[in-house]
Amino acid sequence: MPLPRLAFALADDSGQSGSPSAALASGTSLAQLEERALVQEAQAGNRLAFEELVRRYDRDVLRLALNLMKRTEDARDVYQEAFLKVYRNLHRFRFECSFYTWLYRIVTNVCLDQLRRRQARPEDQAPELHPAHYEEGMTDFFERQKEQRPSSDPERHLIGQEIKQRLACAMERLSPRERIVFEMKHYQGLKLRAIGDALGTSEETVKNSLFRATRKLRSQLGELR
Amino acid sequence: MTPSELKNVCEQVAPLLVFYACGELDESEQALVQQHLAACAACSAQLSEEKNLQNLLASLPQDADRLDSAGVLLSQCRSELAETLDDMVRPPVLEKTPVFGAFRRWMALRPAWSGAVLVVIGLLLGVQASQWHFARNAVNPLDEAVNVHPGPHFTDDQLSRIQVAGINFSPSVGSAAQNVRVELNAEQPVEITGSLDDSDVRRVVTYVVKSGDRFDPGMRLDCLEALKARSGDSDVREALLAAARKDQNPAVRLKALEALRDSASEEAVRALLLDTLKHDSNPGVRVEAVNLLVNSLEKSGSGNGLPAMVPGMLDGNTVPAMAKEKAHEVSMTGVIMALEDLRRSDPSSYVRLRSAAALRQLSARNDQ
Repeated sequence: MPLPRLAFALADDSGQSGSPSAALASGTSLAQLEERALVQEAQAGNRLAFEELVRRYDRDVLRLALNLMKRTEDARDVYQEAFLKVYRNLHRFRFECSFYTWLYRIVTNVCLDQLRRRQARPEDQAPELHPAHYEEGMTDFFERQKEQRPSSDPERHLIGQEIKQRLACAMERLSPRERIVFEMKHYQGLKLRAIGDALGTSEETVKNSLFRATRKLRSQLGELR
Repeated sequence: MTPSELKNVCEQVAPLLVFYACGELDESEQALVQQHLAACAACSAQLSEEKNLQNLLASLPQDADRLDSAGVLLSQCRSELAETLDDMVRPPVLEKTPVFGAFRRWMALRPAWSGAVLVVIGLLLGVQASQWHFARNAVNPLDEAVNVHPGPHFTDDQLSRIQVAGINFSPSVGSAAQNVRVELNAEQPVEITGSLDDSDVRRVVTYVVKSGDRFDPGMRLDCLEALKARSGDSDVREALLAAARKDQNPAVRLKALEALRDSASEEAVRALLLDTLKHDSNPGVRVEAVNLLVNSLEKSGSGNGLPAMVPGMLDGNTVPAMAKEKAHEVSMTGVIMALEDLRRSDPSSYVRLRSAAALRQLSARNDQ
């Protein structure tokens, strides 16, 4: 059955679904390339294509790292280590999953390693900035809420501060994996299946982690709600 | 629904409420929860708590917003990464046309199938390669493989000093002839392989047959079996005659006689058979000699006519009229006399009976 091969070859010739290099040669910018073509171009050694891939996803990656690590230095380390791993191993990526999933698998593994290292040697780590420690910061959510609300409510403000402190403590009690699952579900908005793919585990395991994490948080925050 | 039933469903639904609140239930679970919530105030209240908790979590500021609200950290990370990449050696580039790339990917994803496919490929290659190898080496017209490694020509002295460690016979591909592999313990271990057409192989095999007790009886029997098809060759026949006459093992003597079946009409073989009739200690061997003699006489009689026998020769005291036979030939008279002797005085009743039957057989043949 040579027909599909012929059809593919014709499409190549016409440039409809041709190689990324051909697309680039015809004036298409990297930013306009499909993810797959961009990855192929980066795999072929195109540094600009790799940087374009980084720019597409690094905001989310840094956000995840900051939320999980809660320290800019640690998040910066995660960012560097994760993207360097991607760069070194890009030639091994076979499109068996989306590039996004593959990238997140690397990022979450780096985060897990960092969190486990931190749990194993807490004395080496600088203290995390808990909400209570940056009460005066202008970026504080509840501070902003207070200004925006038409009628200020001191009692609610106090409860909000209490909730934030307890939440921070409760998050500390989660295992690294529970913390990542919780973060990816509630703050990155990923589906459980996608989280499972990124963590290299089943949806059922992710469900269990999320359930345990939610229970721990609820018990910690229960009295205030 | 009774209170106990309701409680059961509550227990079933409670763990699902977390996932219901964040839209992670499949359709059937969702339907179950919705149906239950309509009837259960307690679970509805719990769901409302779950939703409140999630709203609360969603409303709280994230650390990322606080720690990098202006995106400065992101810019720093990007420039640091770019600098690191500048200093790095370029990573391996993906091959444009990887060798068996698709096949390798397929194998990586299906290990069990890959194993089976590799075994089949290996078998096919093995069979094809061995056939090609034999076809390439089959230079003789009989298409028999002749491989001799390293191809020594043994002297009698060498043969007298070697020990045979093992002999294997196997039919060669595309031919009825046997391949023989002989492992010899000489000064250095030697292995020779080939059919019986090969002089060294034949020499070693006949030497084993001739050498009697120097080698294992089982090995001698194997060699006799292999030589059976070559009883027409003079050196082979000589070895067979020697084995039939002198070997200490009756099974080997019997096998040697069987191997001589096709040559039984020859003078030397008949002389051996007569000698065996008179002197072999084993009744089975004597019976085999009787059979061979009778068969050979019948065959030669069909072509040249059996020697005339006087009437009543089977009475016990008669003598066949064979005056014209040459002195050096084994005469019918000698055969008859030997058979008569056996019939009368052989210690084995079976040999006596077989001899009598053979005499009757010969007589009937003569009457025709």
